[in-house]
Amino acid sequence: MGIFRLAHVDLRVPDLDLATAYYTEVIGMQLVEGDEESAYLKCWDEADHHSLRLRYASRNGLDLMSFKVEAEDDLAQLERRVETYGYAVRRVSKGEQVGQGESIRFETPSGQLMELVHDVEKVGGLLGKLNPSPMPVGLPGIAPPRMDHMLVTAEEVGEACRFYMDVLGFRLTEQLLDGNGHQLGVWLERSGTPHDLAVVVGPNGGFHHMAYWLDDWDHVRKAADILAYNGIELDAGPTRHGITRGNTIYFFDPLGIRNEVFTGGYAVDPDFPTITWTEDQFGRGLFYWEGEINTRFLRTHT
Amino acid sequence: MGILRLSHVEVRVPDLELATAYYTEVLGLIETAREPDRVFLKCWDEHQHHSVILRFAPTYGLEHMGFKVEHEDDLAAAESLVESMGSTVKRFSPGELAPGHGAAVRFDTPSGHVMELVFGMQQVGNMLPRMNPAPRPQSLVGIAPPRVDHVFLTAEDVDESTEFFQRFGFHLTEQILARDGHQLATFLERSHTPHDIAFVTGPNGGLHHFAFWLDDWNEVRTAADTLAYHGVPIDVGPTRHGVTRGYTIYFFDPVGNRNEVFTGGYWVDPDFETITWTEEQMGRAIFYYEGQVNDRFFTVHS
Repeated sequence: MGIFRLAHVDLRVPDLDLATAYYTEVIGMQLVEGDEESAYLKCWDEADHHSLRLRYASRNGLDLMSFKVEAEDDLAQLERRVETYGYAVRRVSKGEQVGQGESIRFETPSGQLMELVHDVEKVGGLLGKLNPSPMPVGLPGIAPPRMDHMLVTAEEVGEACRFYMDVLGFRLTEQLLDGNGHQLGVWLERSGTPHDLAVVVGPNGGFHHMAYWLDDWDHVRKAADILAYNGIELDAGPTRHGITRGNTIYFFDPLGIRNEVFTGGYAVDPDFPTITWTEDQFGRGLFYWEGEINTRFLRTHT
Repeated sequence: MGILRLSHVEVRVPDLELATAYYTEVLGLIETAREPDRVFLKCWDEHQHHSVILRFAPTYGLEHMGFKVEHEDDLAAAESLVESMGSTVKRFSPGELAPGHGAAVRFDTPSGHVMELVFGMQQVGNMLPRMNPAPRPQSLVGIAPPRVDHVFLTAEDVDESTEFFQRFGFHLTEQILARDGHQLATFLERSHTPHDIAFVTGPNGGLHHFAFWLDDWNEVRTAADTLAYHGVPIDVGPTRHGVTRGYTIYFFDPVGNRNEVFTGGYWVDPDFETITWTEEQMGRAIFYYEGQVNDRFFTVHS
């Protein structure tokens, strides 16, 4: 019961046409529907209506992060828990949002708007349900099968971590501690993977990146080729994370929002013992092969 | 909240020393305990005490399969469920069944297999520290899969077995239907993967294979090299499944139990719509590249 994965990321973009062109042609998502103000996109293997919403606004940023819950009852239960913790919860009724039914929304201690949703419109993956081939052929761009996780920033990572764990039931797979034992970064999951949501120290309300799942390291290599072909600015990689063990590339969309492609990791049981990284090993924790951090990675966010 | 994933398999082997040598040196599992008649093994990235038990016996096959549950209460809930269906359940206290073993219940399935649910198996750790861990250990031998993935059994009445497992909360991800509509094979999950257990038509009590997870297709290639180097007979592959979309090699341990290495697949939501394969597409369903199944695949099991 409860949250089981990231549902969709809602972003503001100052050039909707450019952003839509990038996310459909370079990333290779499908445009499910759109109007003058917004575009709703999904990855090819996702059955739900959308995993990314782009909304035209004067500058880029995160509108909200939406997570999917397993049962309808979970919304009422989590609403009470968030309210008990002291945050106001707004109910969004069916029909207010494109592609989904009722949801709840609230601010988090890390300053992002969070949504929980159960009832989403199913549009289906690309393959069908009768004798499907294992993959679609001829998709443009990187064509990740699905969205994987996101990373946000918070002034008080420890406080945010307690909220996500104690109120929303996330489990802590890995943490980065400073010399005084304060959390500088936390990696949290509900889906049996190394992370669905991560929080690193930075301004409240900040958005660091969202990540697409790729099937393997060879797909990461092809993604690098496609990014380079399209003249996309790489931030880091292809390389490997110490934290999460994932293989990765970071890069920026044309409006300056950081994206990641990600594969690997490990299986996480609910009783998984948390992995701790010390500040002096942060370089290896972040980029295992290089062992050092580019400052852009820590300072640049949306 | 119920069953999490496959925990372990206990397989019968008429030559315990030969089987142990194969599972530790070719597969690359780690021995964690030994008794005169049983050897306990785990994969390197597993935290639990054992995931494969080899039991000395005059013939080969599956002695029992164990699934991990999230809460101790889940054992009592399963006990009530099984008793309500008119079957008997045996309860075992921690350590009673095996060294490092948790509290458990055991019962017979309609397909004639012994099923166990286990809670609280001793955690012995993976081969990496919990502080600043490298992404993989360097001292591994053989194929060295990080974990077990799924088990595949034979049943005379696949429809009946499928319904039985659905009552324990398993979701049906894929099915192969005969022309008359009955299920020839079914694939069921609890872990958001394409399958934790699967059934194919055959004698009750039969083991078709159990599978180890590999990280990607390149690891599958390396596994083929390792198998060939050791003269292990390969049954099929490396190839790709239509069902589950996985990449695979089937091969036999030295006493005739079929093993698989497996990677790929897709993410499964709890409301995932079942994929159906028709009998005339069975070839592509099982081996997508070849489009046909070798006779041995259907006729040989242990």
